Amino acid sequence: MDKNLNTSSERKQNCSDENKCFELLESILDGEGAVDSKEMLNEKLAKCQPCFEHYHLEKVIKEILQNKCTKHMVPSELAATIRQKIQELK
Amino acid sequence: MSEVQRKKYSDKDKNNIFDHEFMPHIDSMYNFAYRLTFDEDDAKDLVQDTYLKAYRFINSFEKGTNAKAWLFRILKNSFINEYRKKSKQPAKVDYQEVETYYNSDNVDYSMTSDLRVDAVKDMLGDEISNALNSLAVDFRTVIILCDLEGFTYEEMAKILDIPIGTVRSRLHRARNLLKDKLRSYAENMGYDTEEE
Repeated sequence: MDKNLNTSSERKQNCSDENKCFELLESILDGEGAVDSKEMLNEKLAKCQPCFEHYHLEKVIKEILQNKCTKHMVPSELAATIRQKIQELK
Repeated sequence: MSEVQRKKYSDKDKNNIFDHEFMPHIDSMYNFAYRLTFDEDDAKDLVQDTYLKAYRFINSFEKGTNAKAWLFRILKNSFINEYRKKSKQPAKVDYQEVETYYNSDNVDYSMTSDLRVDAVKDMLGDEISNALNSLAVDFRTVIILCDLEGFTYEEMAKILDIPIGTVRSRLHRARNLLKDKLRSYAENMGYDTEEE
């Protein structure tokens, strides 16, 4: 890969097909990319500023969703209630 | 989900499946139910109904297969069929309307492009949760299933009864909507979202 492409000023500032590219980037982020997607990803991010920004923003959002999203505690009696209802079914 | 051969489990098998394959997912199930209903009692009822249905139809579950996806599918369908009607949440933007809007070619991406990575990193769990909760249910659901629960696109397609291509595009639209919300939070936090 051309090292000169690694700064933002070297990347193209407009993406010709944002919708398609962004969907593809998100698929890769979700672990759904094809086998060769890692290579394709690096190339795309090196060449296209909107793709570079989109990928990194989505990556951070995915991480905070996974790590910070408020978890709701399961009411303690719920499992017992379910088991009891099932006993009644039998 | 594809048609499976109906089993004839003994009571011992049933209890075994229920305890070891179904019950371990109760935390995820409750969280999903809460994010669909926004109400503790409704979420409890929904999870309880789902587990009762799962037990009743346990013969159509194949032991050792993906119990979590199977249970999530039942929960989602129960929500659509029963709880959505009496849901206490206020009316949301019509899904079809939003889907069509974001499907069009002339979407203005500049709306979200100015949200900064640093601003997102500084957000609190409640802010993220509120932003997620404010999305229409179909968009909220794909983000929950993908990002919070880690389902694959294939599993999501089965849970939601939609093609994989629709999973992919709906996720993309949902994420654009979520970024709009996060951007307004970032502005309220005093982050300058306009300039470098």
